[in-house]
Amino acid sequence: MRRRSAASQTWLLVVRLLQIRIFAARREWSNSTVHAAAMIAGGVLFSLIFMGTYVGTRALDAAGASGLLATVPAWAFLVYLLTDIVIAFGQALGDLYASTDMPLLLALPVRIPALVSAKFVLGVVQNELYILAFVLPFVLGYLAALGAPWIAYPAMIVGITVFPAILYAALVVVTILALRVIPARLAKEGLWLVGAVVPTVFWIAMFYRVSHITGDVATMSLPPPPSWLPSTWLGWGLSAFGGVGTGGSAAGLGWTAMLLFETFAICPPALWLVSRSFARGWSDSFAGGIRRVAEPLAGVGPRHSRIVALVTKDLTTFLRTPQLWFNHIGALMFVVYLLIGHAVQTPIFPLTVQLAMVQIGFVAVLGAVTPGMTSLSLEHAAIWVLKSSPLRAHEVLVAKVLVPFGQTATIAAIGGGLLSAGYGFNLPQSFAVVGFGVIMAACSISLGVAFDTSHPSFTWENPNSINRGPRMVIPFLNGLGMLVVCGAALWLTRLTLHGTTGALVGLAASLVLTSIAVWETLGRASRNLSALEV
Amino acid sequence: MSGSLLEVESLTKRFGATVAVNEITFRVEPGEIFGFLGPNGAGKTTTIRILTGLLRPTAGRAVLGGFDIVKRPEAAKRMFGYVPDEPNLYGKLTPVEFLNFIGDVYGMDPKRKRARIGELLDLFELTSAAGELLEGFSHGMKQKVALCAALLHEPRIYFLDEPTVGLDPKSARLLKDILRAVTRAGGAVMMSTHIMEIAQGLCDRVAIVDHGRIAAIGTVDELRALRGDATLEDVFLNITGGEPGEAASGDRLRSIVAGSR
Repeated sequence: MRRRSAASQTWLLVVRLLQIRIFAARREWSNSTVHAAAMIAGGVLFSLIFMGTYVGTRALDAAGASGLLATVPAWAFLVYLLTDIVIAFGQALGDLYASTDMPLLLALPVRIPALVSAKFVLGVVQNELYILAFVLPFVLGYLAALGAPWIAYPAMIVGITVFPAILYAALVVVTILALRVIPARLAKEGLWLVGAVVPTVFWIAMFYRVSHITGDVATMSLPPPPSWLPSTWLGWGLSAFGGVGTGGSAAGLGWTAMLLFETFAICPPALWLVSRSFARGWSDSFAGGIRRVAEPLAGVGPRHSRIVALVTKDLTTFLRTPQLWFNHIGALMFVVYLLIGHAVQTPIFPLTVQLAMVQIGFVAVLGAVTPGMTSLSLEHAAIWVLKSSPLRAHEVLVAKVLVPFGQTATIAAIGGGLLSAGYGFNLPQSFAVVGFGVIMAACSISLGVAFDTSHPSFTWENPNSINRGPRMVIPFLNGLGMLVVCGAALWLTRLTLHGTTGALVGLAASLVLTSIAVWETLGRASRNLSALEV
Repeated sequence: MSGSLLEVESLTKRFGATVAVNEITFRVEPGEIFGFLGPNGAGKTTTIRILTGLLRPTAGRAVLGGFDIVKRPEAAKRMFGYVPDEPNLYGKLTPVEFLNFIGDVYGMDPKRKRARIGELLDLFELTSAAGELLEGFSHGMKQKVALCAALLHEPRIYFLDEPTVGLDPKSARLLKDILRAVTRAGGAVMMSTHIMEIAQGLCDRVAIVDHGRIAAIGTVDELRALRGDATLEDVFLNITGGEPGEAASGDRLRSIVAGSR
C-alpha cells in the first residue's frame, strides 16, 4: 500500500472533507426552489452591503469627511474581528473535539498533523464564507466609491482572505491550550463565555472613546483602534488604497504584505503546537467521572401544563447553552454602538423619536435571527420526543414562539429603555421606542419560527451551525422587510402628525401591520408543525 | 370493536417512487410480545415511526387502543411508550429533568410522577447519574433513560426499536423481565430486533418483513414448522434471501481477509 506524505494526506483530507460539507449543505435543501431563493437572498444581502457602503462613502466624501473616511475601515474590520472571536472559539472547539467525524478520522492511518491541518483549513474556509458575504461587499463598495486604483482590488482581496487564518490560528491555539488545563466539558462552556465577555468588554471600552469625539462631519475622525491588531492594518490598508489614509497605494501594498507575513509567521507554529497537543487533549476530553448528587429527585417539580413543561425545557436548554446567548450579546452591542456613536451619527441623521424606533426595530430584527429560526431545530435529533408525545401542534407552537420572543423582547425592551434614556426622551416617547422594539421582536420571531418549521435542521453539530449560510439570510431579510414597511408607516405619520403624537400613531399603525404578518406566519407555522415528519 | 391493542390495516408509506412499507396488516393482542424482524431497510423502523406518529401513512390505518393514530393522534399517543433505535435525548437536561418533562407532557400526578421517576432510576441503576447532563451519557445509558421515559406513564402498548442495542447484559435481561411483566399485566409490546435469539426466546408472535411487505407471520414454532423445524435464523435467512451463498464463498472471504494474516 502506498504511503503518503503529511502534506499529501492534508491535501487529500481537505478536498474530501470539503466535498462532504458541500454535499451535506446541498442535501439540507430538499427543495431546489427554496435553495435558489436563499441564494438570491444572499445576493440581495451582498448587493445591499455593497450599495450601502458605496452610497455612504460617496456621501461622506462629498461632505469632505476625510477624517471619518480614513478611520471607518479600521473600525469596520474591528467589528468583524470581535464578532468572529465570539463565533470562532466554539467553532475551533467544535471542529477539533466536538466533531462527530473525529473518532472515524482518528482511526484512519492518517498523521495527526495532517488531520489537524485539514481541520484548520476547513475552519478557515468556513470563516471565508462570512468574509465573502459581509466583508467583501464592504471593501468593494468603499474602493469603488473612492475610485481606488485597480491594484487595490486584488491586494485587498488577498488581505481579507488571509485575515481569518491569522485569527483562527490564534483562537485554535488558545482553545487547545485551555483544554490542557481544564476538562473539555468545562472548557466548552468556559471558552464560549470568554469568547463573549472579552469582545464585549473590549467593544464597550472602544466605544467609550468614540463617545468623546467632537466636531462636525468634516473635521470629525474616529479614534484609532489598537495598532497591534491585524484588523487595524487591514483598515489602514483600505483607507490608503482609497486615497484618504496615510501613504497611498504603496502603503496599502505594504499593509497587505504585513498581513501575508503575519499569516505565514503565525499559522505554521500554531499548527505545530496544536498537532503536538491534540492527541493528549483528545484523550483528556473524555476524562471526568459521574457527579453524585445528594438529592437525585430534586429536579422533579409540581405538575405543569404541557406548554409550561415545553417552555421550561427550552428555557433550561437556552440557559445551559452559551452559544445561544451570542445573538443577544451582539444585539446589545449594537445598542451600545448606537448610544455611544450618537455623537457621530446625529450630525449626519438628525435624531427623531421615529429614527430611534427604527434603530431599536433593527436591534429586534438582529436579536431575533438566531432564536426565531432555531426554535424548532434546537430539538435536534430528540424531535422524536415531541412528535411521539400527545402534544397538539398549537401547544408546541406557543412554546416555540414564547421562549424566543421572551428572549428577544427582553433585549429589545432593555435596548429601547437604554436608547430612550441616552437620547433624553420623555415617558411617551420612551414608550413608543420600547413598544416598537417589542412589536418588531414579535414579528421577527414569528417570521423566523415560520421559516424554521418549514425548513427545520435537526442534524447540526453545534447550535450556531443551524443558522449558517442561506438559512440565516432569509428570516433576517424578512424581518428587515417588515421593518422597512413599518418604517414607512412611521415616516408617513411623522409627516402628517408632528411630535410624540406622530410617533404613537406610527406605533399603532406598526402594531396593526405586524399583527397581520404574525397572524399569517403563525398560521403557516402551525400547519407546518402538524405536517412535520421526522 | 375488537380486543386488539394494536390493529394495522394495509399500512403503506411511499417516499417518492420508493415504497418503504407496502400494505402491511397485522394485530397485536393484549398480553403479547410481537417481534418485527427483517433485514436492514426492510421497513421495520418506518412502520414503527408511522405507528408512533412520527410519519404519516400514505395509505392504510393504524388503531392503537381504539384510537386512530392519524385521526385521534393525541389520544392514540397516550396509549404507548416508545424507544427509538437511536436514543437521542435533550443533551442539556439531566435524566430527572427529562423524565419530569415527560411526566408533565403526559399530565401525571406529581406524587405518582416523583415515585415513578425514583423507582425507574433505581431499577436501571441511574440514580448516581441523576444530576448529570444527558449529553455526557453513553449510548447504553441514554437507552436506559429512554426506556425509563417509555415506562414512566405506564402505557398499555410499547414500541421498542432495537431496544437491546447498547445495553449491557444485565440491563438487557432486566428489559426482558420488564417486558414479560408488562404482558402479564395485559399490555402489548411490539419490538423490532436483529437478534434472533431474543426474538425466539421472548416473542409470542413474529412477523418477518422484507422489502416493505410481511413475508411471514405467526408464532416462532409455526414459522419454524414452515421450514421443517429449522431455527428461526434459518427461517429468516431463507425467507429474506439472506443466505450468504456465492457472495461469501470460501475463496472470496479468504481474498477479503488476506491482508489480516
